[in-house]
Amino acid sequence: MAAADSPSTALRRRDLCSRGIRLAGKMRADVVDLLDAYVEQQGLDASASVAAVEGVPLAAVEHWDEQTGTQRLLENLAAYRAFRALLAQMLEEQREQLGEADAGLGRALAAVLLQVSAFAYHLEELLRLESRGIPGEEGDGQPPLPRLSLFEQKLRGLGVLRELAQWAVRSVRDLRQLTKPSLATSAAPALAESP
Amino acid sequence: MFSRWNWVACGFYLVLNVCSPDASGGLVQSCGHIIPESPVLALGSNFTALCILNESCLDFGNIYANQIIWKIKNRLVPKEQYREINRTVSSVTFNDTSSLATPLTCNILADGQIEQNIYGITVTVGLAPEKPKNLSCIVHQMSRFTYVMTCTWNPGRHTFLDTKFRLRYSWPEEVFPDCIPKDVNNSCTITDIQFFVNTEIWVEAANALGKAESDPLVVDPIDIVKPLSPQNVSVSSGILPTVLKLSWENWISDAVMTLKFNIRYRIIDDTNWMEVPSEDTASPRTSFSVQGLRPYTEYVFSIRCMKEDGVGYWSDWSEGKTGITTEDQPSKGPPMWRIIDASHSPALWTVHLMWKALKPFEANGVILQYEVTVRDKSSLSSPLKKYNVTSTNHTLQLPKGTYEVTLIARNSVGASPPSVLLIPESNSKAPVKNLRTLPKHDKLWVGWTAPNSYVLKYVIEWCLVSSSSDCIIEWQIALGDVQGIDLKGIKPFKCYLITVYPLYADGQGSGQSVKAYLKQDRPSKGPTVQTKKVGKAEAVLTWNHLTVEEQNGFIRNYTILYKTIDGNETVVTVDPSKTEYTLSSLTSDTLYTVRMMASTDNGSRTGPDFTFTTQKFGRGEIEAIVVPVCLAFLLIVLLGVLFCFNKRDLIKKHIWPIVPDPSKSNIAQWSPQVPAKHNFNSKDHMYPEGSFTDVSVVEIEADDKKSFSEQDLKPFDLLKKEKSTSEGHSSGIGGSSCMSSPRQSVSDSDEGETTQNTSSTVQYSTVVLNGYRDQTPVQVFSRSESTQPLLDSEERSEDHAGGADSTAQRQQYFRQNGGQDETNTDRPCFERTNQITHADEGDLVGFVQLQISGQSSQPLGLGMEKNTQEAALSNVLQTRTEGQTVRPETVEENPLSVDEIPKSYLPQTVRQGGYMPQ
Repeated sequence: MAAADSPSTALRRRDLCSRGIRLAGKMRADVVDLLDAYVEQQGLDASASVAAVEGVPLAAVEHWDEQTGTQRLLENLAAYRAFRALLAQMLEEQREQLGEADAGLGRALAAVLLQVSAFAYHLEELLRLESRGIPGEEGDGQPPLPRLSLFEQKLRGLGVLRELAQWAVRSVRDLRQLTKPSLATSAAPALAESP
Repeated sequence: MFSRWNWVACGFYLVLNVCSPDASGGLVQSCGHIIPESPVLALGSNFTALCILNESCLDFGNIYANQIIWKIKNRLVPKEQYREINRTVSSVTFNDTSSLATPLTCNILADGQIEQNIYGITVTVGLAPEKPKNLSCIVHQMSRFTYVMTCTWNPGRHTFLDTKFRLRYSWPEEVFPDCIPKDVNNSCTITDIQFFVNTEIWVEAANALGKAESDPLVVDPIDIVKPLSPQNVSVSSGILPTVLKLSWENWISDAVMTLKFNIRYRIIDDTNWMEVPSEDTASPRTSFSVQGLRPYTEYVFSIRCMKEDGVGYWSDWSEGKTGITTEDQPSKGPPMWRIIDASHSPALWTVHLMWKALKPFEANGVILQYEVTVRDKSSLSSPLKKYNVTSTNHTLQLPKGTYEVTLIARNSVGASPPSVLLIPESNSKAPVKNLRTLPKHDKLWVGWTAPNSYVLKYVIEWCLVSSSSDCIIEWQIALGDVQGIDLKGIKPFKCYLITVYPLYADGQGSGQSVKAYLKQDRPSKGPTVQTKKVGKAEAVLTWNHLTVEEQNGFIRNYTILYKTIDGNETVVTVDPSKTEYTLSSLTSDTLYTVRMMASTDNGSRTGPDFTFTTQKFGRGEIEAIVVPVCLAFLLIVLLGVLFCFNKRDLIKKHIWPIVPDPSKSNIAQWSPQVPAKHNFNSKDHMYPEGSFTDVSVVEIEADDKKSFSEQDLKPFDLLKKEKSTSEGHSSGIGGSSCMSSPRQSVSDSDEGETTQNTSSTVQYSTVVLNGYRDQTPVQVFSRSESTQPLLDSEERSEDHAGGADSTAQRQQYFRQNGGQDETNTDRPCFERTNQITHADEGDLVGFVQLQISGQSSQPLGLGMEKNTQEAALSNVLQTRTEGQTVRPETVEENPLSVDEIPKSYLPQTVRQGGYMPQ
């Protein structure tokens, strides 16, 4: 964290945090709505258990309240970059499967994808304000996602959306944590909260 | 000429094309071209074009650059703008492209005269796009999850070129597809909106001459949202009668944005909205309880929302939703007033109580009934009288007195506070002063000056004055601290009677009234004038007042306009209270046209024309002329008559003098019976009845209507006496003329001698005494040749001739002749006659004549039988009606004398109308 922020920097960070919180909130609401539509459209059971999606860090972590701001931002950025790639693939698979038959679901997926991209941008900006280097995109170096069966694609999609909803909640809490001045510069946890 | 040049041109063109070395495939290649090819030029810039001739054409056709001419749309470009660069290139320069037009052609003059087109280009002139300005965006919520962003901008000046606008937006790491406006160049709508990310938005304009970009607008679309208004608004009444609860649903989730609200409401019949204070609704919510409302009142509610932080736009107002508050007890008692009718009996009032229904905000519900309580204040022991009424009036029969009336209104919740009205026995308190009115737009303000005493309230009564119907009273109550109110519902051009009563705590003041109009107009018709009386120089005009409906305002005056046919109009202004006016100084015997105009403050109206003609003569003028003329005429006639009467002799002498005709004189025939009669008569009867028959010549005026009247016969009596005197001396015969004067005969002859002479020599003579026309009368004595002895009477008269005895005898004679009716002798007349006799012998002559005439017609005093006399009279009248002048013979024919005296000496022949010569 930057030890001394200029007023404009502080204002900019505050604005980014505020906007990021609201974006994450809206993203969660949209993802929840999208989950309902996706389960229904894909013929899945909403209570179906899904294994953890590969490549996506889990939102639930131990010692969350002990994380520094930078750690939070970096974990968030890694997660949303992963979501961006997964959602893009889901959108492509969706178009391949349904074509233009269910444009609504496709539009909703595209909207969530945009929000994920926007949130990732927010995180990058915050990291810049923290005078920290932005880690490079690992997408190019990552191996392509394994080719799955159609059902597996659906289940993976369900898992991605569920995890994204979880991350949206965590991101809101992370950004709120960042906006607290006392905690912004402290690596020690002040509040015993966890997502 | 034309055909020749045409042939030459065709030939030259053919040569050009045939000689063209690149001609192939049937296509024709020209001998040159222009650089640049179809340029787009900035308006106002300079421009140079080059026409380059093909080398192949030079040698073959002898065409060089110096032969080139430039044309703009068939208009020759001045050669000053040409420049020959070399023998195959010619340029033209335009300093201002605004003078350019399409096409620009390069031409050549072959042989110096034949013009041939070489090449042409299209020149497009326009402007580069300006930088778009005033870019602004707004995000409209289309549905729960759908948002569109519409951006507008000012595209700048018209470029005259095809200019493309595109709206571009991007995130720092994301570029979105451009938004291309359709059909417009100043707005575009983006449908893919992502909130909570700053988005850079700008407009790009581009055409052939350039490209321009607006300043970028960086905005998070969430900050420019215009949300949909709340939906499913409902209104429910709560426990309190002054509270209504609003509930609604928001279209936008809290995850997107939280909202604040505005709530407005109004009474359903009102147009003015009231708003709930904004700070009360500045937080997210889905319901709100509006307080401070009126009970039992229907309200309309509407709500809108926007982002809680106030960044963005307000939504539209939601559709109105109505709700009714619950009932509450009436907040006040109904205003009450009364009309007292004491016309039937002064001691017994008919009291019409009336009150106004409470206004909804006062009634606070449905009024179920009114309770009226009447208390007689003059008698404490009298019980209260209560009435339950459902209407807004109640009529009571009350003895004259002072009463207190209490009124309560009830609804389902409770009763109102009571309204109290004191009805005093008499309105003895002080009235208001200076009552006045003033129109104020559509209201009529009524003002007054308060009395000195404290007034509880005022009652203002008003009614529309009508000539055809009763005044229907409306009323209103004003508080005691006001001194004027506005009356509503007042119609313009109508007359209102306004009365104000002050109500005191212990009584009531008498009412003061004023008439007023909200707005005046000119009368709807003019007065109809007519004449009541028309004289020589004046005319009395009458008219009726206009009815109050026709007046349309206060009649300020009447104007009478009258004129003759060719004269100037005269105008007279008359007080509006008058209904009659007298026009004076009119010209006699002249036709006048008169009309009448009624005027209010706002105009006049003229009634119909009325014409009348003044009289030729004034009142009494005719009488003043006719009466004197008649009187004068009568006077003249009277004077004339008197004159004629006085001068009748003279007139008669001059006009119809009686010329005696001696030849027609009659001489009485002596009748042989007479002597026997004479013998029979005694000496006392010196003058027997037939003695006057001695006068045998009688003339009767045919026109003498009064010849038979007693009045005329009176002088006749006198004459009888005179005659008795004179006849004694006259021969007794024959004076045929009325003018003959026995007296004259007396005077002309000595009695003694005459008697003696006649006794010896019987002479019958006719004596004419008066001369003709002032001539000296000549006494003519017509001597009779008869030798017959004189009548006894004459002899006797001769015996008694002379001396005073004759008079006595005559008196006696008259007495005898008067017979039984001695009263027939008119004494005064007799005396007067005597006087006249002494005064004027001429008159006497007349009398003699009359006497003779009377004798002939009515031998009055001769003792004849009356019937016989009447018969004789009728004979005479009959004779007169036949227009015949009665001659002396008529007298002799008189059957009276004949019948009375059967032994008459009158010859029968005479009676038969003829003269029988002896």
